[in-house]
Amino acid sequence: MRYISNTKEQLEEMLKEIGVSSFEDLIRDIPQDLRYKSNLKVKGPLSEEELISYIKSIEQENADFALLKPLVGAGAYKHFVPSVIKTILSREEFYTAYTPYQPELAQGTLQTMFEVQTHLSRLTGFDAIVPSIYDGASATAEAVLMTMRLSGKNRIVISKLLHPQYIETIKTYVAPHKTEIVEIPYNDNLTDINAVKDLMNNDTAVLVIQSPNFFGGIEDVEAFSKLAHEYGALSLQVVVESLSLALLKSPKDLGVDIVSGEAQSFGIDLNFGGPYNGYLATKMDFVRQLPGRIAGETVDRNGKRAFVMTLRSREQDIKREKATSNLCTSHNLNLYAIDAYLSLFGKEGLYDLATYNVKASHYLRSRLLQTGHFKGVEYPFFNEFVLETDLEENVMSERLKSINVIPPLKLSTYFEGLVNSYLFAVTEVFSKDDLDRIVEVLGR
Amino acid sequence: MKLIYEKSVKGRIGYSLRKDEFEGSIEDFIPEYALSKTKKELPEVSEVDVVRHFTRLSKLNYGVDDGFYPLGSCTMKYNPKVNEYLATLDNFTQAHPFAHIEFVQGNLRLMFELEEALKEITGMDRFTLMPSAGAHGELVGVLIMRKYFEDQGKPRSKMLIPDSAHGTNPASSAMAGFKVVEVKSNAVGNVDLDDLKAKMDEDTAGIMLTNPNTVGLFERQIQEIAEVVHSKGGLLYYDGANLNALLGIVRPGDAGFDVVHLNLHKTFSTPHGSGGPGAGAVGVKKNLVEFLPSPLVCNCGKYFGLEEPRKSIGRVKAFFGNFTVLVKAYAWILSMGPQGLKEVSETSIINANYVLAKLKKYYRPAYDRFCMHECVLTGRDYKEYGVKTLDIAKRLIDYGFHPPTIYFPHFEPYAQETIMVEPTESEGKETIDEFINVMIKISEEAKTNPQLLKEAPHITYVSRPDEVKANREPVLVYKEK
Repeated sequence: MRYISNTKEQLEEMLKEIGVSSFEDLIRDIPQDLRYKSNLKVKGPLSEEELISYIKSIEQENADFALLKPLVGAGAYKHFVPSVIKTILSREEFYTAYTPYQPELAQGTLQTMFEVQTHLSRLTGFDAIVPSIYDGASATAEAVLMTMRLSGKNRIVISKLLHPQYIETIKTYVAPHKTEIVEIPYNDNLTDINAVKDLMNNDTAVLVIQSPNFFGGIEDVEAFSKLAHEYGALSLQVVVESLSLALLKSPKDLGVDIVSGEAQSFGIDLNFGGPYNGYLATKMDFVRQLPGRIAGETVDRNGKRAFVMTLRSREQDIKREKATSNLCTSHNLNLYAIDAYLSLFGKEGLYDLATYNVKASHYLRSRLLQTGHFKGVEYPFFNEFVLETDLEENVMSERLKSINVIPPLKLSTYFEGLVNSYLFAVTEVFSKDDLDRIVEVLGR
Repeated sequence: MKLIYEKSVKGRIGYSLRKDEFEGSIEDFIPEYALSKTKKELPEVSEVDVVRHFTRLSKLNYGVDDGFYPLGSCTMKYNPKVNEYLATLDNFTQAHPFAHIEFVQGNLRLMFELEEALKEITGMDRFTLMPSAGAHGELVGVLIMRKYFEDQGKPRSKMLIPDSAHGTNPASSAMAGFKVVEVKSNAVGNVDLDDLKAKMDEDTAGIMLTNPNTVGLFERQIQEIAEVVHSKGGLLYYDGANLNALLGIVRPGDAGFDVVHLNLHKTFSTPHGSGGPGAGAVGVKKNLVEFLPSPLVCNCGKYFGLEEPRKSIGRVKAFFGNFTVLVKAYAWILSMGPQGLKEVSETSIINANYVLAKLKKYYRPAYDRFCMHECVLTGRDYKEYGVKTLDIAKRLIDYGFHPPTIYFPHFEPYAQETIMVEPTESEGKETIDEFINVMIKISEEAKTNPQLLKEAPHITYVSRPDEVKANREPVLVYKEK
């Protein structure tokens, strides 16, 4: 077997040195009637060549995604990933390494964590950051649990325009804790701020607002934060399209207490929904309530700058059932991608990229409205917007497929009553010509 | 070395963008209440700056491809290169999770076939591939247990966990709202059956067990444990961290376990990625299938589709799990085949016992028993020379090895000086012999030149970072002076 080094002869030799006559002697602790008597019925063994051809045959049952450009986002955004990222991620010192428990052998990992923490600090305004949790949805659920710990309350008020799968994830995470969940309705594609006052009370732990929201809408987060604080609740902003932070005011400046986000936009492929990278950011006052791994700067025994995992006394391997969470594995490999991506684009590039996203998406929306097949309300949005259409779903799908475009998300799946409404996402993968072609096929 | 921020030069760029042919300016589209007045202060560096920065960083890291990585309970085995290639095929990496189902039939087939293989390997009836990690799987598993009892109208409030368990077990149970009750280990390192009997009652959901357990030993009385727990209506949870020892030898589903989580990044060889992403998978027996998280992949005749279990605990993350990690795990299973899987466990068990046999004179083990795929030694005899296990571990670095897991499990009788070695099946006898020889050499050094160990490692970029300082005065982000 090509991945097992020892030969039969070597194993025999080792058994002799152990002092047993057979492998069977080593596992005599396992009761005979528990042993699996037959051969496992799994495919293989396949040679490397057979393996490649088999997995490729499965891969080719998918649509040819390399050719397709998605008009769908909804929490998973196709942004161009520079070639540098692939080169960096393929370094074995990164992908075959473990959690940095031995800092002397993991300064690469630890410094990268620290750099991503700094990038996210520049984008969110906060100094206490967990750079890597499974994804935006689980990071948001962890953030909600954190607000419940901080406040000692278990009533949470959530915008209905938080990503539906994030809402479902929160519900799963809080289910064991007798939590009351209240959803805020929306109005003209933005969370209805007038409805919030009636839903808040002094037992509320947190007010959760996604901005840009699930419909791409840019919320007046500051107004929501003020309201949360009036009732003694914490304000949590969820950022699913983190590219928006390049242009928008920092959550900290909007009076937010905690940010939970998804960093997939920063150099991570779509990957059919995962692996992605969730993160949390908050003020230093709350740092000891954060779940997960954080890197910190220190000095080594010779006074040289060094990085370590820090504030570990919050974590499961030390605090056990009293830990802030059970997080053990993160999505650290993605941090190299995020660090490289944000460094490549940098201050000017990320701003220009976000600007392109805004302008391209607004262009498509206004052109689609001109075709007469679409209508929708005016609202401020980033790179995603909602339109209603008189085109049949299959007609729209077929026409878009004919020009290699993945159709937008049909909203009735998640929002009853939005029968013919679709959520469109436009990123820099679309040129103006591409968008004109979309308008041309949908405008017929 | 310098941070990327310290390499920043105003006006330097590392990006390229297609031409912006649209009219208007950003102020036309973004309302004043939301638009930032300044650009965010990210670094300004060129492409070559970035490439060199990360190449340099990579040289400060140690991966499995660099050498022996015997971290106990972490199963740092070789990560086959072909699997990396397969996971980067365009139709996998460029697939949008909200693309129509007919666009992603290949992905769904792969998930379906992987689930079939995992069912066969574990003896369970149905799997979710949704969890992002082992601990995420634990949370799913215990939430399923919680919901199962709630559904019967008889919620249970307690969870039994052996004192030797990984910290994730009690943490996951607490997240699922259970009160954690610790079960003692006996003198031979297994669960104390009397203590279990005394603590298992009708308000206890069940027990979370690792088998082989966290000291590398098989729970000899697993059938009795199952009987005690089942007789009170409880459920057995299998923590798959140590499944590497049992492939083709014992199936947890046949040993009485009701819920199983697997760490695809351990047993199934997907890389650990500097701490993730990995992927979990949770398998259950028939009576628990309807509680699995949603959605599940189904083979609906002509097409693969998605289905929602009737009484699902809900979602545990967005979309469908860590798909590209699943590709790697499935590719590994196909490479091994039934016989290869069995050889994995046989070889890893022989490798671990060989380490134990050769080193037990120098690092007294806690128990005088054969181990499974990992062995627990201790450095307790070197305390009299003022040498801690930490010093032994750091000295190993000078000889080119990644240290084993140390200070776990951290309860008596291990005197808190434990060293847990897991060689895995990947390592050949020469590598293991080299490690053994170095460990023996270090044991000599500990007696004759303890200072050498206390100042180790001597060859790394940094040595013994001050963790106390990092903790007391947290510096978590870079600030320009």
